Amino acid sequence: MQILRMAWRNLWRNGRRSAVTVAAMTFALWVMILYTGLVEGMLVDMVDQAVDLEVGELQVVAAGYRDDPSLHRVVADPAALLTGIEGLGYAAAPRLLGGGLGAVGQESAGVQLVGVDVERDATVTRIHQRLDQGAWLDPADPRGVVLGKRLARSLGAQVGAELLILSQGADGSIANDLFTVRGVLAGVGDGVDRGTVFLTEDAFRALMVLPAGAHRLTVRVPEGSDLDQARARIEALGPGLEVRTWRQLLPTLSTMIESTRGLIQVVAFIVYLAIAILVLNAMLMAVFERIREFGVMKAIGYGPGTVFSLIAVESALQALLATGIGVLLALPAMAWLSRVGIDVGALGGMQMMGMSMMQRWTGRFTVSTVQGPVLILWGMVALAVLWPALKAARIPPIEAMRAR
Amino acid sequence: MSLLRFSSVTKVYTQGQVQVHALRGLDLQIEAGEFTALVGPSGSGKTTALNLAGALDHPSSGTVALEGRDLGGLSRRELSHLRRDRIGFVFQAYNLIPVLTAYENAESVLALQGVPEGQRRERVLALFQELGLGGLEHRRPDQLSGGQQQRVAIARAIAARPAIVLADEPTANVDSETAEKLLDLMQRLNQERGVTFLFSTHDARVVDHARRVVKLVDGRVAEDLRR
Ligand SMILES: Nc1ncnc2c1ncn2[C@@H]1O[C@H](COP(=O)(O)OP(=O)(O)O)[C@@H](O)[C@H]1O
Ligand SMILES: [Mg+2]
Repeated sequence: MQILRMAWRNLWRNGRRSAVTVAAMTFALWVMILYTGLVEGMLVDMVDQAVDLEVGELQVVAAGYRDDPSLHRVVADPAALLTGIEGLGYAAAPRLLGGGLGAVGQESAGVQLVGVDVERDATVTRIHQRLDQGAWLDPADPRGVVLGKRLARSLGAQVGAELLILSQGADGSIANDLFTVRGVLAGVGDGVDRGTVFLTEDAFRALMVLPAGAHRLTVRVPEGSDLDQARARIEALGPGLEVRTWRQLLPTLSTMIESTRGLIQVVAFIVYLAIAILVLNAMLMAVFERIREFGVMKAIGYGPGTVFSLIAVESALQALLATGIGVLLALPAMAWLSRVGIDVGALGGMQMMGMSMMQRWTGRFTVSTVQGPVLILWGMVALAVLWPALKAARIPPIEAMRAR
Repeated sequence: MSLLRFSSVTKVYTQGQVQVHALRGLDLQIEAGEFTALVGPSGSGKTTALNLAGALDHPSSGTVALEGRDLGGLSRRELSHLRRDRIGFVFQAYNLIPVLTAYENAESVLALQGVPEGQRRERVLALFQELGLGGLEHRRPDQLSGGQQQRVAIARAIAARPAIVLADEPTANVDSETAEKLLDLMQRLNQERGVTFLFSTHDARVVDHARRVVKLVDGRVAEDLRR
């Protein structure tokens, strides 16, 4: 109690120095809180784009499909598996996958065919909301297909164009049919953009002569669920299943997210280094100015530990003030950045790793995006005050009292 | 057993190439209840002797013992506790912690000793009355005169009920009238409460108050008068 009281009053002895220190800490913390939240917002957006749009949080395929993606390697009874997955509290949708050739007029290109269970798919991906022109698939229009953005461009296909698809059916027959372009997607991701044709499930089955089975089930889990746990649970539903989380499916994205989070800490360290130097300097000055006082204190029986904590508490109080003010001042900025955000659409949006990015950069602020910068600040202040505090604690009393 | 005992104590300061012999075989015993003035010309070793008695420094040779314990055998931590619990200090100036009020300064050592709040209040307020500091409890040191500051320092020193109060030129920074009053006060505390004082001075009038006067010359006892 006595230490706290002394420390608090000591801050006011050189009020301007304390104010400068607190202001610098506050500003650095404010910047770091907003920066961390903005980066987190970008990461979440990237995951949303990649995961929500197309990939899904988890994918289930028949064992071996990933190494040898043949039309015949299917999950035999997708309906039963869907029931099982839904029983775990997750949402899931089957997709059918194949390859072929697409042609519009004189233009042709190799295409990836994706058969979609339209209704279910809307519960696990958001691709149906990413149309640039026209409309998404409709089970009532089995001739209607949707093309990836760049595929449509290279085929010169507009909404309403006739698309000829050529492939080989599951029974070995030649599969060919004419479809109508219902919609063209906006940017989704490299693979989809460049070569994918989406068909309804029924159209796919008819074209490819595949009456049963599904190649892939996309799974969505409730927010905050442990993906690895979900993966294990789904795998346990039956033999011959291969389940992958998006982190496994998109390892580059996953590593990039981890390293970006690491980078935040490096940036925080650098920003706070300036603060640490300021604290170090201010506290050293404070210790030197009061050296006689420490001499008297130690002579009359204040132990080194008490003197050490006095200096440490003085810095802690400053850090505490800075934390309070910094977080308070960050609140309105956080509210604005998370609701309104920064318009980057004017810059043509952002593209990263072949995925189209957001038009608006919004921050995402959670307890951990605020806590992180606060904890690193405290760590740096603690490091910076170590030397001045030790210096004060170790002063031999007579030498200190002799000091001028 | 003497309360404080110097036996053949020497103290050599090394300053660059020069060696200064501050004490050259000091033998001195202070008994409980004594009121002793340490006098002598400047540089005769008074401050050095008080620093050794106060466990603030180590002798170059010889022993200093307080209540029979050789200070040379104690760890830093034990010395710090010894100063807190058994020794009261009054320095020449800058005695008080500037951010604490007169009252808080006076109770600080008691707080370090872990004396409960109520007892601290009782003891310190009684002392403030006795030392004529009543009403000044909430003043900061810079709002007190030199004499008042020294009285607060005395209150702090004796509130903790030490075995001995060591005072190095406690009157050097106040005018002679104030000096006289401070000495009166110390004397009264000695007579009424039995507090043992060992203080240095080179003020002749202050010396008149002392029942025992020890004169140092060149780091040795040159005269030891009892009245
Ligand atoms: N820290 C020190 N370093 C070097 N010499 C010192 C130191 N302290 C005291 N001295 C010397 O020791 C001698 C005794 O000093 P001191 O004990 O302060 O005497 P007094 O208090 O009687 O004036 C003096 O010559 C002084 O210069
Ligand atoms: Mg002296």
